[in-house]
Amino acid sequence: MTSLTLLWVLPLAGAAACLLAGRAGRGAAKACALLFSAAFFAVSLAVLAGFLHGESAIVVGGAPWAFGISYRLAADGLSMALITLTSFLTLICVAASWKLDVSAAYWANFLALASALTGVFLARDLFLFYVFWEATLIPMFFIIGLWGSDNRRHAAVKFFLFTFAGSILMLLALLALVAAAHSATGVWTWDLDALKGAPLGAAAPWVFLGLLLGFGVKIPIVPMHTWLPDAHTEAPAAGSVMLAGVMLKMGLYGIIRVALPLFPAYALSWAPWLAGLAAINAVYGALCAMAQTDLKRLVAYSSIAHLGFCVLGVVSLTAQGLTGGSLQMINHGITTGALFLLVGFLYERAHKRGVSDFGGLAARAPWMAFFFGFSIFASVGLPGLNGFVGEFMCLSGIAHSSVPLLGVPFFAVAGVAGVTLAAAYALPAFQAVFWAPEGGASVSDHVTDLDLREKSILWTLCALMLWIGLSPQGWLSVLEPAIRGLVR
Amino acid sequence: MNLLAPQAALAAGVIGALGLGLMRRPPSLLVRALVLLTPLAALGLLWGAVPGVLPPLVGVDMKGLGWQTVIYAGALPMAFLSSGDDVEAALFLGAVLGMGLLAAAGNLPMLFVALEFMSLPAYLLVARAGTGERRLEAAVKYFFAGALAGAVFLLGLSLYYADTHSLAAVAVPVDARGQAGLALMAAAALFKIGAVPLHWWLPDVYEAASPEVSGFLSTAMKAAAVLFLVRVTSLAPNPGFAAVLPALGALTALFGALLALRQERLQRLLAYSSLAHAGLLILGVGAWQLLGRSPAGIAALLIYLGAYAFMSNGAFVFLQASGVSTRAELKGYASRRPLLAASFGLILFALGGVPPTGGFVAKLLMLWLAVRAGLVWPVLIAALSALVSLVYYLGLVRDMAFEEAPAGDPPADGPASARLVVAVCALGALLLGAAPFFLSGVLSGVWK
Repeated sequence: MTSLTLLWVLPLAGAAACLLAGRAGRGAAKACALLFSAAFFAVSLAVLAGFLHGESAIVVGGAPWAFGISYRLAADGLSMALITLTSFLTLICVAASWKLDVSAAYWANFLALASALTGVFLARDLFLFYVFWEATLIPMFFIIGLWGSDNRRHAAVKFFLFTFAGSILMLLALLALVAAAHSATGVWTWDLDALKGAPLGAAAPWVFLGLLLGFGVKIPIVPMHTWLPDAHTEAPAAGSVMLAGVMLKMGLYGIIRVALPLFPAYALSWAPWLAGLAAINAVYGALCAMAQTDLKRLVAYSSIAHLGFCVLGVVSLTAQGLTGGSLQMINHGITTGALFLLVGFLYERAHKRGVSDFGGLAARAPWMAFFFGFSIFASVGLPGLNGFVGEFMCLSGIAHSSVPLLGVPFFAVAGVAGVTLAAAYALPAFQAVFWAPEGGASVSDHVTDLDLREKSILWTLCALMLWIGLSPQGWLSVLEPAIRGLVR
Repeated sequence: MNLLAPQAALAAGVIGALGLGLMRRPPSLLVRALVLLTPLAALGLLWGAVPGVLPPLVGVDMKGLGWQTVIYAGALPMAFLSSGDDVEAALFLGAVLGMGLLAAAGNLPMLFVALEFMSLPAYLLVARAGTGERRLEAAVKYFFAGALAGAVFLLGLSLYYADTHSLAAVAVPVDARGQAGLALMAAAALFKIGAVPLHWWLPDVYEAASPEVSGFLSTAMKAAAVLFLVRVTSLAPNPGFAAVLPALGALTALFGALLALRQERLQRLLAYSSLAHAGLLILGVGAWQLLGRSPAGIAALLIYLGAYAFMSNGAFVFLQASGVSTRAELKGYASRRPLLAASFGLILFALGGVPPTGGFVAKLLMLWLAVRAGLVWPVLIAALSALVSLVYYLGLVRDMAFEEAPAGDPPADGPASARLVVAVCALGALLLGAAPFFLSGVLSGVWK
């Protein structure tokens, strides 16, 4: 199957094409970006469609290169769901940035980012996985540093260094893993499936810890989260969409794909600790979000809380919790993507994004109010919208978990507290910006309502929120076989 | 005599350069052609070469061939950028010849002769090439450091010989006196590489020399010095002797990275950065010893040196190509010359060991050797130094790409040939990221 290779090569080719087209002018580069992101989306949909018709997994394999490294890609429902999310959000980002006057490098960076992210979700060789994993940092570094807001330079470097620190621990863990497996079996291999069940001896807990640290920075698990608010706030709107929408999911994906299958026993015995950290995430993120006066920072902290839920679902180690956690990753990508775009649209108009800079916007920009409200309700988990399904499954996974200690009501209580707090930070902000009377410093009169392009983008996102909320079965049927394959 | 064909070509080049110097006004174009073609010819003569010995002085093994490849290739940027001066040409080719002889040395006195042969022209090259204000001072410092290293080596060699009565470059049993001799010889090698605390001469020399000379010293010369260390440490009958190397290497890496953080002058920053890379190489050599000196470790070291030849040459030559000498001048450079800046940016990411560049593969291989040897603390320190070094590499990218250019006249551009070298080095540093793929045929045989 060459289609898997095509999936990551296509956006990379698009990035190169954008740079070349940029010589003919900025418009040409933009058109090129649209063309390639649309093609990428179409190809990913086509591959995803295969999974709806019962294909369980497709694998690309090759003879090992030097050092036991091989070009092995594989896709199952989980990979393809995340890749489709990537391609979808890339297309959305291109559409949302359409009016920006930016150089060809902007579009090229987004496409290169999409390529590396796709590679992460496809790779089944750990060397390949790591290369793609790290390669995501470079385009995002430039996206934040070149097109971000005032404090972008600092945020870009901080983002890179923090995640690199996590990754280098992960790299050491992978090296130790491969070396330990070699001394046990006599074979050099980085193949994830071949490494499963290899006896690792005394190195095992350290390897597991290194992996968790590498993945944890990305999620991010408190207290490794401090890069996130800066990066998300300073990035351009589309950059925040990719950061929150897809890049945070890399960490959870890594846990589900790499850490849990390699170390099922440690996963079981460490699960309560991880659940404890996840519960802290959910509550702490929400509390921090409550304290924010900057809308973008608020959404950024809310991501920490939401990802806490996902981790809770995953470490329940039940099929339901894992599926819920995975679905919640998709949900969060769509919902938070919409919120970041809305804050971005607001910022484009008023050049402010403080909660107190606005007031009574609903009268001036009713469509903006509608979409903002819709996304906020999806984000806090209103039944009928996507967030509810995911959060419910995560909490229910915890409740039914057979992991010792996880049955303790503490985790369920923390989860419920997180849901409640979400309403407590999101709704007042929504109310203050759109419904409260204007204060003296308000810049609301600079704000015009959304135009057709912006409305179309948000209609698409909101339709998805409603679709997943009302009828999650189709989505779950893509994810579930993959999850069951992993749980077994 | 095929064994020494590359060295013969280099010797012919030296004689040619000296011959051209006899003319009243040596034609610059001819000199430059000679300087460029000689190392290329040496590289070409390596093609299909096989190991062999020519007792008692010459012995070329696979290591020797591999190292010659890296050394001649690492010398090419400087060859390409030659000013056309006949004396510099002779000095440069002489230094490369010395390195070639080092790779072919079959016994210890020959090793010493080669060491001096490659070092003496280098001192003069530092003093003579370029326009740096403090290059004479640096050359004198370099000379004294080199002379000290040579003396230490000779002292070690005498102790070793007094014990073993052997001058062959093979391991024989030693007693305590022989061990001390070996330690002194290794210290001389560490001196040449610039391991902490024997590094004090290095930043001054690399900063004061002309950028392309620093590039040459940090790649070809460093490669030769690493081979020197490999050869000397291989004389010990058991690798236990090398147990100190990983710790020393890790500390050197951390030290270099930490000192580079505070540098404002780019050439000095790159000098400390090369110290950090040397640290990783020393760590690699130590791990290779502890792992029982497998060919795989040699392959890993060679890949590192090969990738570093691109990265370090490219970084130093960028300074010449752009005319930029301080971090302040680097600000906003990307908007002035986007392509050159992009090349330098790529080189910086490679130096920082970020995938998918060759710098990542190189760093990974050193860490791999160290992990396999079970060197937990050195590995953690090396990882820390990689993180620290990323602070300044990223800082340079930030200065170059994200900051506004300062007011005032920008520094004058260097020659177009230097820009070409930077671009080629950037491309090489990127493509070597796929080394495990296209080198698989070469490496699968040795990596067991």
